[in-house]
Amino acid sequence: MTPMDPLRHASALYTRRQFFGRSAFGLGTAALASLLGCKNTTTNRDALTATVRRAVPGLPDLPHFAPKAKRVIYLFQNGAPSHVDLFDYKPKLREWHGRQIPDEIAGGKRFSTMTGNQTARPVLGEITKFAQHGNSGAWVSDFLPNIASIADELCFVKSMHTEAVNHAPAITFFLTGSEMAGRPSMGAWLSYGLGNETEDLPAFVVMTSRDKEASCGQIFYDFYWGSGFLPTKYQGVAFRGAGDPVLYLSNPAGMSRTVRRGLLDDLAHLNAIKSEEFGDPEIATRIAQYEMAYKMQASVPELTDFSQESPATLAMYGPEVRRQGSYAYNCLMARRLAERGTRFIQVMHAGWDQHRNLNTQLKIQCDDVDAPSAALIKDLKQRGLLEDTLVIWGGEFGRTPFLQGKIEEVKGWGRDHHPYAFTLFMAGGGVKKGFSYGATDEFGFNAVEKKVHVHDFQATVLHQLGLNHEKLTYKFQGRQFRLTDVHGHVVKDLLT
Amino acid sequence: MRSAPRFPSSLALVVTLFAAGSAVAAGQPVSFSRDVQPLLAENCYHCHGPDAETRKGGLRLDVRDAAFAAGKSGLVAIVPGKPDESELVARLFSHDPEEVMPSPKSNRTLTAAQKDLLKRWVAEGAPWAEHWAFTPPQRPAVPKIENPKPEIQNPVDAFVRARLAAEKIFPSPAASPRELIRRVSLDLNGVPPTTAEVAAFERASLENPSSAYENLVDRLLASPRYGERWAWDWLDLARYADTNGFQGDPERTMWPWRDWVVNALNANMPFDQFTIEQLAGDLLYPESKSKTLDPARRNALIASGFHRNNMFNGEGGRIAEETRVENVFDRVETTATVWLGATFTCARCHDHKFDPFRQTDYYALFDIFNQLSETGSGGGGGKVAPILDLTSDAEREAVKQTQAAIDSFAKEVETFELKKFPRPEGKPVIDSPDALKLPGNLPATHAKVAPARRGIDGLLEALPHFRDTDPDPAYVALLQRHIDLVRARDAARSLITNVMIMDQLPKPRDTFVLNKGNYESKTDTQVFGHLPAVFATSAAASTRQPTAAPARLNRLDLARWLVSPANPLGARVTVNRAWQAFFGIGLVKTSEDFGVQGERPSHPELLDWLATEFVARGWDMKALHRLIVTSATYRQSSRTTAALHERDPENRLLARGPRYRLPSWMIRDQALTAAGLLTEQRGGPSVKPYQPPGIWEEATFGKKTYQQDHGDALYRRSLYVFWRRIVGPTTFFDAGARQVCTVKVARTNTPLHALVTLNDAAYVEAARVLAQRVLAASPQDSARLDQAFRLVTTRSPSAAETKILLARLATLRKQFAADVPAARDLASIGEYARPAGLDLVDHAAWTSLCLLVLNLDETLSKE
Repeated sequence: MTPMDPLRHASALYTRRQFFGRSAFGLGTAALASLLGCKNTTTNRDALTATVRRAVPGLPDLPHFAPKAKRVIYLFQNGAPSHVDLFDYKPKLREWHGRQIPDEIAGGKRFSTMTGNQTARPVLGEITKFAQHGNSGAWVSDFLPNIASIADELCFVKSMHTEAVNHAPAITFFLTGSEMAGRPSMGAWLSYGLGNETEDLPAFVVMTSRDKEASCGQIFYDFYWGSGFLPTKYQGVAFRGAGDPVLYLSNPAGMSRTVRRGLLDDLAHLNAIKSEEFGDPEIATRIAQYEMAYKMQASVPELTDFSQESPATLAMYGPEVRRQGSYAYNCLMARRLAERGTRFIQVMHAGWDQHRNLNTQLKIQCDDVDAPSAALIKDLKQRGLLEDTLVIWGGEFGRTPFLQGKIEEVKGWGRDHHPYAFTLFMAGGGVKKGFSYGATDEFGFNAVEKKVHVHDFQATVLHQLGLNHEKLTYKFQGRQFRLTDVHGHVVKDLLT
Repeated sequence: MRSAPRFPSSLALVVTLFAAGSAVAAGQPVSFSRDVQPLLAENCYHCHGPDAETRKGGLRLDVRDAAFAAGKSGLVAIVPGKPDESELVARLFSHDPEEVMPSPKSNRTLTAAQKDLLKRWVAEGAPWAEHWAFTPPQRPAVPKIENPKPEIQNPVDAFVRARLAAEKIFPSPAASPRELIRRVSLDLNGVPPTTAEVAAFERASLENPSSAYENLVDRLLASPRYGERWAWDWLDLARYADTNGFQGDPERTMWPWRDWVVNALNANMPFDQFTIEQLAGDLLYPESKSKTLDPARRNALIASGFHRNNMFNGEGGRIAEETRVENVFDRVETTATVWLGATFTCARCHDHKFDPFRQTDYYALFDIFNQLSETGSGGGGGKVAPILDLTSDAEREAVKQTQAAIDSFAKEVETFELKKFPRPEGKPVIDSPDALKLPGNLPATHAKVAPARRGIDGLLEALPHFRDTDPDPAYVALLQRHIDLVRARDAARSLITNVMIMDQLPKPRDTFVLNKGNYESKTDTQVFGHLPAVFATSAAASTRQPTAAPARLNRLDLARWLVSPANPLGARVTVNRAWQAFFGIGLVKTSEDFGVQGERPSHPELLDWLATEFVARGWDMKALHRLIVTSATYRQSSRTTAALHERDPENRLLARGPRYRLPSWMIRDQALTAAGLLTEQRGGPSVKPYQPPGIWEEATFGKKTYQQDHGDALYRRSLYVFWRRIVGPTTFFDAGARQVCTVKVARTNTPLHALVTLNDAAYVEAARVLAQRVLAASPQDSARLDQAFRLVTTRSPSAAETKILLARLATLRKQFAADVPAARDLASIGEYARPAGLDLVDHAAWTSLCLLVLNLDETLSKE
């Protein structure tokens, strides 16, 4: 029994009461009998219950094998955190600071146009201090003290590499397996394959935040959580950073929940009459979806009500936790969604794109995300949820070990996009704790040891959810598509 | 979500109708194209298909001669009539994991029945045929139906009835006149009929149902609403939007192209001309020296904007050539989807795995679209050359004046900043020691730039800095005024109407096959514009006179060929999309893929008859639509029984009329019409109706503010709603994303959709104004209810429905009487005028009731 079972049990009871208690629903047996166009009322009830309870059903033969994780929280660091300033400590950089990076390391590589034409590529030493942490001795920069403090919970992959050099294609590649917009994202694949554990909330929720000064221009494109060619019901529901978290969630001004309930009872009744006349089962589904909408109107406000959170918990997430739309708020929401059974929670934070302001902005970014990220992992652990929740933290690529800009303009120091090596970390969900995997060369430039490609990472995430990435496919335009395209190997060494 | 049929036996029955490889009735010969080829394609072509790069063992099963010839090993895959000598059969039935095919590694398996079928096919002599869609449609004979009931209206019915008779299923009776007028009005005009139109049609139908209906159809086809309704589908496949997409998402002004589409559809421009003008309008008319543009050339240039509707990535740091090449990819693939029903994307990197499209075929089309002067840079403004400038003098003047306002205001800023950032006069702010503290991009966007030239992004970054981090209220006030002025100037600029169009480089670019589609890795293989080889034989009959070899085709050549009889697919995919729009599913369900892996048509003869008829009638779209909607098939009732539904859940056999949820944009237009709110103003710049606050701001980090329109603009048809590509209008659901070509939109059923039609201001206001309408019309509740119901659904409520709703009305009155402030809130939603004397409680109660009616499944559905 997981800790959230009672909660779900309660909501299941609520469902049935809402649906079949005549006093609450007002839908008579006769109307019910007509819902599915046949006579046996008991069968109808079961069928209708099934329709309601499995509002987003998974595929019948999934998972392929016993999963280690039931859900994913992806803390996506949009803009690309600098691996060589945060996790991948390279003393060589300090040693070579200001000198041209050797050609045998960086020669012939493609960079964005911001440094593509820059001939001087002086190595830039790490801009802050590193230290080793925990029994595992993980190197973490002092910009991330809270994450450092839970180093023994984390599984670092230091040999990540990707293909794209610009943000949107690289993020799209990470989340959908293709650089071009239009393929289903990871969360859509998972809700398609595995369905949802709750009927009260969406299976795939996205929450976004950005750095306070809005210094970066990156946009959260809806194709980062799109369903591509999968039916749109699998696309991520983007919770908004202000107002109703779900679009159009609130009743119109002046319409109370009681009034709405009465209208929906009659609406269901009239639709049931229609169903009897027309024999279209889609009508029964429509009744169920309207009922779910009504339930979401209660379950979402309950979800966003932090009044039952202890002061200690709130403090752990930091002072921003009460500001809707902040990273801290979204992290706490992620835990609450995980508790309630949401399958895939994608938290995205923009502002990591330090081209010309590494000395000022990197610290600010770290301050935004450090405490909340660590708090989320600790909080999940305290509640016994970390075991079957896979938490992922990372960006779309790394940053150049050499400088973008001029070495004498200290204020304008920065690093450009770098697809050849970067670090991400995971926690929970059946990955090793206090573990570090793979390595880059001595400049942190190229992943050289146990390289992990984005498709390998994706295959591994699916594996933890009990899915064979080669078998979770969808036929579109005559081809079987999958998240990992035609690539990807599960990185078994990362797993417990 | 559709519930699965509950009886496996009947499911199997239905499946045999369409799916390949299922048991073929004993005594009936195996059909290569229906039964065998799909199995080979699905299970074998991946390694033994058209792609030479990945072909294993030198074996090819997509070409007859290769499949029947001895392979490297000396063994022959298929020996016609001799399954025991055929290596293919031996491998299928092998128990050795090293030998058995498909290989276990491929994750593909065949059922015992499928293996038996392939064996039987070989035994029957392995008859072979080309893929149906790659051979030109032959006009089939119209089946003769004895004593048809209900009566047959045109050949469409003959094909449908022949199939139904074979399946021993009876067609449904005709829908009632009332049901029919709603269905056909929504289908042809996108809005429901008025109550007067319904009454008139019901009366006329009593006298002569046939002529009444034909007159109705003719009226609808002649209405200017026809073009507005059908433009929507075309905009989806043309990926039309009002912004570029990607970072910054700058605005563009492609609406004259959108209006061109509406006008062309209303004028019933033949589809071949419609195609040619959009793909190559710039090449149709010679450029003249005269200063004024010849109207025909001007319109054709606007039409050529079709292939400038794609997204455009102007992200900082973006390599221009990469953007340019991606744009060409998009044009190639969109063209292939729209006119060939072909999925070309795979051939970007390698020969197609299933269809006979080679990588060189892909780049041959690429070469045709590679000759545009677009460079891939300059996307930041949204209106990327080549363009056609359609700006009026007044609009140009407005830009000048708003810029002048900024220039004079900038002097005030300069004076202030001289004190705030002390520095030698004449030097920029960045030279002041105080400017060193500026964070983020501010040194670059603010301190280095003279006030008159500062853009909105930098100002919006400066504002929070000087408000929160380093407060200076006086400076913030200046910044705020500055932002307002820049916004006004940008708004004026946005009215500068530049339609992006096509042109042709005087000196053509060379085109090389790109390794894995990477713009940087050109291979040595140079290609010139030509048709895909599979069509080359039919191309011999193309309209183009051969010129000096090698004949390098241009866009005009391609466009002409696409709509020539030599293209086996052009008419088929077009009539199929029309069918899809009327019945919810095309005759070929995979309307985006007519290739080997696509689904075979449910009624192959009907598809080919329609395609040939369409061409014979001069690609006449209205004639095609008329043919379909006047068929008895279309006019059937959409009522169904559990048995029929289980037999044919998707209505592929067409034993009943179409019933499915309307597109969300049409649901909105319907609500506006029922309320009497719809403003029928046609064309012009896009409008911004209600949208919850903060949607654009959140998606663009505050850089784009949604400035909602007022008055009539709130009630224009959905077609005219402004489409920001990175965050489309929130009032629509299950709509094409307008990012890439979409020929088939999803139709799902989720709680989020219910929330839109229950709570969106557009719908609540429509309910509120509908309530005003019925309250004014009659003092009697039952008459009011009757009218509301008829305005929305075209019918009167039944006695049972009336009873339920009048009881609800009584309850609502009590509820709102007990809470008059709530009644006031609800009765004043939206900006449309509310009569002063209207009783609040009554109004709120009726608003609630009307909202219920707007949410009936029947209202949301075409039936």
